[in-house]
Amino acid sequence: MLEIRSARKTFYKGQADEKVALDALDLTLQTGEFGVVIGSNGAGKSTMLNAISGAMPLDSGHILINGDDVTNTPVHKRAMRIARVFQDPMLGTAASMTVAENMLLAELRSKSRTFARGLNAKRLSDYKERLSMLGLGLEDRLDTRVELLSGGQRQSLSLIMAVGGSPDLLLLDEHTAALDPRTADLVLNATIRAVDALKLTTLMVTHNMQHAVDYGNRVIMLDAGKVKLQIGDDEKTNITVATLVDHFSVKSDAMLLGA
Amino acid sequence: MMEFISSTFTSYVALFPVTLAQSLILAFVVMGIMIPFRTLHFPDLTSEGAYPLGGCVCGMLIAAGVNPALAIIAALLCGFAAGCCTAFIHLRFRIHTLLAGILMMTMLYSINLRIMGKSNLSIFGTGSVFDWAPFVTPGFPASKIIIAGIIGAGVFLALNWFFKTERGTAMRAVGANPAMAEAQGISVWVSTIGGVGLASAFSATSGALMVQSQGFADVNMGLGILINGLAALMIGEAIVGKHSVFRQLLAPFVGAIIYYQLVSLCLAAGMPPPDLKLATGLFVLAMLALPSLKRGRGGAPAREKFRE
Repeated sequence: MLEIRSARKTFYKGQADEKVALDALDLTLQTGEFGVVIGSNGAGKSTMLNAISGAMPLDSGHILINGDDVTNTPVHKRAMRIARVFQDPMLGTAASMTVAENMLLAELRSKSRTFARGLNAKRLSDYKERLSMLGLGLEDRLDTRVELLSGGQRQSLSLIMAVGGSPDLLLLDEHTAALDPRTADLVLNATIRAVDALKLTTLMVTHNMQHAVDYGNRVIMLDAGKVKLQIGDDEKTNITVATLVDHFSVKSDAMLLGA
Repeated sequence: MMEFISSTFTSYVALFPVTLAQSLILAFVVMGIMIPFRTLHFPDLTSEGAYPLGGCVCGMLIAAGVNPALAIIAALLCGFAAGCCTAFIHLRFRIHTLLAGILMMTMLYSINLRIMGKSNLSIFGTGSVFDWAPFVTPGFPASKIIIAGIIGAGVFLALNWFFKTERGTAMRAVGANPAMAEAQGISVWVSTIGGVGLASAFSATSGALMVQSQGFADVNMGLGILINGLAALMIGEAIVGKHSVFRQLLAPFVGAIIYYQLVSLCLAAGMPPPDLKLATGLFVLAMLALPSLKRGRGGAPAREKFRE
């Protein structure tokens, strides 16, 4: 379970271009719930995700994961419970290292690292099996450096790395936005399958209204650093892209077109 | 013309064993430059201060009658501490790695002078680890080649093992992508401080071995060691490559051996020693410029990194 309690974050405090990114934001996500976060640019979506992962400290407020206050826990310690897929495929993987080494790093996310050999035969065959589920042929490229993979392959790898070890919380930061439509569908389908199969507590940020309508248990709309609207399980079955767009304070055709 | 070639060749061959011994000792500095530069993406200048630091510490201890092997271990620990300081300065105060290295190397100059109390110290005639080489007469280059070679092989095997362990893989990840490493639960601080410390420990070890080999320590012995090391690293990587742990670790040794033989060849051919640094600098520049020349005009795009 994820709880955000009156989180505040202001950028450029005291300067002319002061910007309130999070304005006493409250949000609770139950264990096993799949929340889809939408909102216009500058609504605070990325700030919220960065605050949850620990990459950005809050000015005030608290973040709890499964009841434990992690507000002051550094990123690498929170990583034991949180997995994240970034928008930029470059960010989520170590480019100069091999596919297998990246899988190893992810596997050790929630474990303590020892002086034992990293890539042993058991692990390699396990990685092979997990990667084969993607159907991209990555299982035969375990020794390939990740920088030689395409953006879609890298992002699929990031996803497999993130869902491995069943994290307490999965953060997806517009993780299909940088991909071509076909690859984006592939990665998104793999995401949905993994989240369903492992019953992961998930928070997905998206600009795609159709995805917000189609996937997840709950739509969370952010505006000016607050939760403006939440549409839960029962209502969510009836919403359409048009009704979602109606809730945006600033409307643009791009939202409808983008869907 | 024939006479020039034959005289060059004769003096080069005469220098060969001495140069080989020297290059095996200096391979540790090259290793100390390679680890931050390649594995951690932390361009580090500490070696220019850590190398004489190792030399001064070792020289003083041997002059005081300490066992030469213990003196090397003490030098190694001092070098480790110096490297840790550089990494800490960078991480804590967000000072650029190069500036952190320059600060450290400048401060180390005074520290080295303080350690020795004077600018140079002769330990000629006292024992050294090279006396323990089996089968050969102490004092000859062969003993240095054997001892430095054994230590070098040990270091190579140990690092080749370490960088494939779970912890070693994590350390490499910090260099490959620090944000990703952090998101995978790896402490960037621990890996960076440990890695740069390790590298400087190698530089200091090299200084300590060099002092025992040449029989004296000098505060200025580090002058230009960095650029020599870089040149050696470039040569090594050009020959053995750098796309696997094994090759990346082999490059400093191969590079050091070949680079110092090339230097020896230049000197044997009558190149004035003062010109050597200019030649080395131009060589390193050429090696670094090569990728951008291949890419065409315009140079690399300006990079900016922002981290809140």
